Amino acid sequence: MTKRIYVLASLLLLASMMLAACGSTPTAAPAATEASTEAPAVTEAPVTEAAAAGAPEVCATDEFGCAVFKPGDVIKIGMGAPMTGDYAAFGIDISQGAMIAIQDAGDINGFKFELVTEDDGGSPEGGAAVANKFVTDPAIVAIAGHIFSGATNAAMPIYEKAGIPMMSPSATNPDLTKQSSKVFNRLVFTDADQGRFAAEYLFNKLGIKKLAVIHDGSSYGQGLAQVTNDEYIKLGGEVVEFTAITPGESDYSATLADVAAKQPEAIYFGGYNAEAAVIVNQMKQSGLDGVIFFGDDGTFGQDFLDRTGANSEGTYSTSLVPPATDAKAAFDAAYEAAYQTPAGKLSPYTWTAYDSAASLISAIKSVAVLGGDGNLYIPRGALVAAVRSIKDYQGLSGVVTCQENGECASSGPTFYVAKDGAWVEAEK
Amino acid sequence: MATESKVNKKKVSTYQIVQIILGVVFGGYVVWRLYQILIANPVYGPDTWLRFAIAGIILGSVYALVAIGYTLVYGILHMINFAHGDIMMIGAFGGYFVFEALKNIQTPTLADPKLNFLNAHPVISVILAFVVGVSVAALSGYFLERIAYRPLRNAPRLVPLISAIGASIFLENAAMLMFGAQRRDFTNPLVLTRGEGWEIPVGGGTVILTYTGVLTFVLSIVILVLLYLLVQRTRMGRAMRAVAENKNVAALMGINVDGIISQTFILSGGLAGAAGVMWGIHLGLVYYFLGFIPGIKAFTSAVLGGIGNLPGAMLGGLFLGAVESLGPAVLGIDFQLKDVLAFGILVLVLIFRPTGILGEVLSEEKV
Repeated sequence: MTKRIYVLASLLLLASMMLAACGSTPTAAPAATEASTEAPAVTEAPVTEAAAAGAPEVCATDEFGCAVFKPGDVIKIGMGAPMTGDYAAFGIDISQGAMIAIQDAGDINGFKFELVTEDDGGSPEGGAAVANKFVTDPAIVAIAGHIFSGATNAAMPIYEKAGIPMMSPSATNPDLTKQSSKVFNRLVFTDADQGRFAAEYLFNKLGIKKLAVIHDGSSYGQGLAQVTNDEYIKLGGEVVEFTAITPGESDYSATLADVAAKQPEAIYFGGYNAEAAVIVNQMKQSGLDGVIFFGDDGTFGQDFLDRTGANSEGTYSTSLVPPATDAKAAFDAAYEAAYQTPAGKLSPYTWTAYDSAASLISAIKSVAVLGGDGNLYIPRGALVAAVRSIKDYQGLSGVVTCQENGECASSGPTFYVAKDGAWVEAEK
Repeated sequence: MATESKVNKKKVSTYQIVQIILGVVFGGYVVWRLYQILIANPVYGPDTWLRFAIAGIILGSVYALVAIGYTLVYGILHMINFAHGDIMMIGAFGGYFVFEALKNIQTPTLADPKLNFLNAHPVISVILAFVVGVSVAALSGYFLERIAYRPLRNAPRLVPLISAIGASIFLENAAMLMFGAQRRDFTNPLVLTRGEGWEIPVGGGTVILTYTGVLTFVLSIVILVLLYLLVQRTRMGRAMRAVAENKNVAALMGINVDGIISQTFILSGGLAGAAGVMWGIHLGLVYYFLGFIPGIKAFTSAVLGGIGNLPGAMLGGLFLGAVESLGPAVLGIDFQLKDVLAFGILVLVLIFRPTGILGEVLSEEKV
């Protein structure tokens, strides 16, 4: 009897999964006419013919069809970011930076842009959920994100099927661009770069000979820690301990006492600020007094300083601050006026966030076609190609040129050290 | 003699043989590892061992305090109150808001014009935090029982268990909606700055015995002793034990069973609240999900020590804390695997002593 129920239940589950899969197919590969019926809720029955009549030729040949906007519709750019929880500072800051790009973007023939931010919590599950939500909205043509590598990794295949290009301002895991994804691009340096620079800085500049590496087991933290570990050993340094912590706990003193017994001169941490703050606060009582804490771009920001107080003194982290240009000064002023916080205080990605939205908008402008019927057509396949082939785009972070694998970073990492409760640029 | 050996032979089952083999293998391995790590190839100095022990005992004393709450309720109702960890979270928030409020009361003096109440009267502040944290948690415990458990008093045993899990999820999400999802910093008075403490020179290193840690440990021991006296020596305690023994007979003896159950929940909620405030003071973070992990660990401690047994829960808590911080070092495994070890030990203990370390023979009967 119970067996039967199981069989029935699994059949039902299977059926519902298949239904769900079928439900998303039309959005995944909409043909020209299908796209128009799916266009924002305003679309009504007679429009189908009109759209077909006015649709430019490119829509018929495009692999993913066109996104159609009737006069008065807005062109949406999606962003999946952690907006609540421990890592909310990143999501809030990045969405604010991108918001300013939207304001600066103006319009295409009266079609305005809009940023749609959804909370993915920074987790792979959240990333996939947000991506699945975004692909069902035909007005979303591009994604400025996601923010964390784990969430991005889960979201990528979903956008790949739907033909929606991504431009992440902050997902640094090296593997992301090794999956030969057509849609994924990023503006930030990879963890391979960051790890190499960090290892060199620790070994050459700070003269550290014995290093302990700790990571949080996340796709970002562990990857970065591994790179740093390997590069540091290559340089001739000794890694006395390579260990992991369980994220989300509030007591790491036993782990730290274990690390202290190996007598490192510095700790390199791959992970985010929530755990980094706990570690830094417990270093002294665990026998790590005077040991340098070297964090990453996930531990940069005001949040870390607020939580560690005086313990933050002398800790390092990574950020990317673009060269001082007029455009950057104008952005900084606009950001501070809009949000009453200096740009770059909450997270290191304020500027790349602006660039990611702005470069996507420039690519959208380059492919959008105004149809004879007054509707705006954005061929999805062409947009994916246009984002990948961005060349010499003048952004805040520098001149952005995307390589064939989707790497568009224009600058490497900068290291910061905490002094008197503020991040100041460390000596080069 | 002959008959006796025959009886003995009959008693030895395959299960017992497996038990013995497991015991010898595991015991042998631990002895070998201890020899390796202490004599043959010492990785850690005495200072590091002391640090492990301190971290474990402090954590263990919080586990013990929460575990007592599980055991009290189990002893009387034979149900696992899965929302207990979340009551602890409520207590932690109570303490947090007291400190936040006191921080904003300015009591300027000539020497320090920026002095606030929290730093001017740290002892009163800490007492206030405990009073508020404990009362809020005790109140939550009372209402939890009234709303989620009392209507299901005569329902099958699985029903209140599911109700408990529901209550736990409800409390977590209610706290998230009320206080937000971010982690908040528990601001201590300056004299209780986290990480500061007495410095003890041991074997070439300096071990810091933190003030917050000592406060946590001493307070929880005092509370546990008081509780033991309450249960063993007072009228209320006697009534509680009577209800635990047999509700119907206790009612015949003139004991208000519902009242005693309410009192038990108030007591166990208060203990969880005290543990929550200690958790906040010692570890410094409060957030809506704070009670989940300690709740699970404390439940484990209660089972380890023998659920329904007060000294057992206390012993189980301290044991679990020690295993978590000393275990990975002794076995030479990664510290990330401490939970694997803790729950592995639970399995082992349950194989050898299904009633827990100090479990009574009675508990089989009660079940």
